[in-house]
Amino acid sequence: MESTQPTPSVDLIRRVQRGDPDAQRELIVAYQHRIAGFVYAVVGRSDAIEDITQLVFIKLVRAIAGLQKPEQFESWLFRLARNTCIDHLRRQKLRRIFTPFAPEHENVPEPAGAVGSEELDALRHALEQLRPQDRALLALVQEGRSHAEIAVTLRSTVAAVKARLHRAREHLREHYQAHHEN
Amino acid sequence: MKTEDQVWTELRRHASAQLRPGFADRVLRAARAGAEAAPSLLGIFSLSAATAIICLAVVSLYRSANQNPVERDDIVAGWEKIAADSDEFAAK
Repeated sequence: MESTQPTPSVDLIRRVQRGDPDAQRELIVAYQHRIAGFVYAVVGRSDAIEDITQLVFIKLVRAIAGLQKPEQFESWLFRLARNTCIDHLRRQKLRRIFTPFAPEHENVPEPAGAVGSEELDALRHALEQLRPQDRALLALVQEGRSHAEIAVTLRSTVAAVKARLHRAREHLREHYQAHHEN
Repeated sequence: MKTEDQVWTELRRHASAQLRPGFADRVLRAARAGAEAAPSLLGIFSLSAATAIICLAVVSLYRSANQNPVERDDIVAGWEKIAADSDEFAAK
């Protein structure tokens, strides 16, 4: 697991809240790769990464003035990212109901070997079998978030996070091994 | 064979490679454009109120222009009868 990355200073967050464009750019550059990785883990489509990541940061720029505790910025940002990904998947599901034959609304999985190693294929396949909420949970752990921070992000309790995480890891391992052995 | 953490790192690397150069600038441009294009609450309310007033005016103009005088007399007579019946009922 990746170690916890340095969090932005409260001063930087306050400058972003005041609408300083240089601070906004600095904050986006600091987080864009982490959010892109998170988005890919939850949504599972390479072609959606840039659009959804962009949407997350647009929401950040518009809503950050309302963030009361700048020290909880990361939990807030990952909650924003998680909700944006889940909304995207929900909308995609609805679109498939109303226009089932439009090719852009089909959630065709990326073909095996299209994006990386055999192991990455197995991980992507295993993630696809989980609920989006569980994918987000696992991606938060991989981001180095502690159980307490994840509980803040999900507005849940540490005990509930631990229980869900245990189940999600078991399911992931099951599907990962099954795919990898095949 | 790679460990699970190594595979996650590969996944993140693949994802971050999908962001084209100039990503932050595009986000800021889009955020600004969206903020300028978004109407204010007062604007939305004023537009809704103006639409409602125009619709009511059109409906009442249409009705007054198209109502047949005979039909109007019938309606008035009907109301007069109801009023008379009510008075009679109240007097009993």
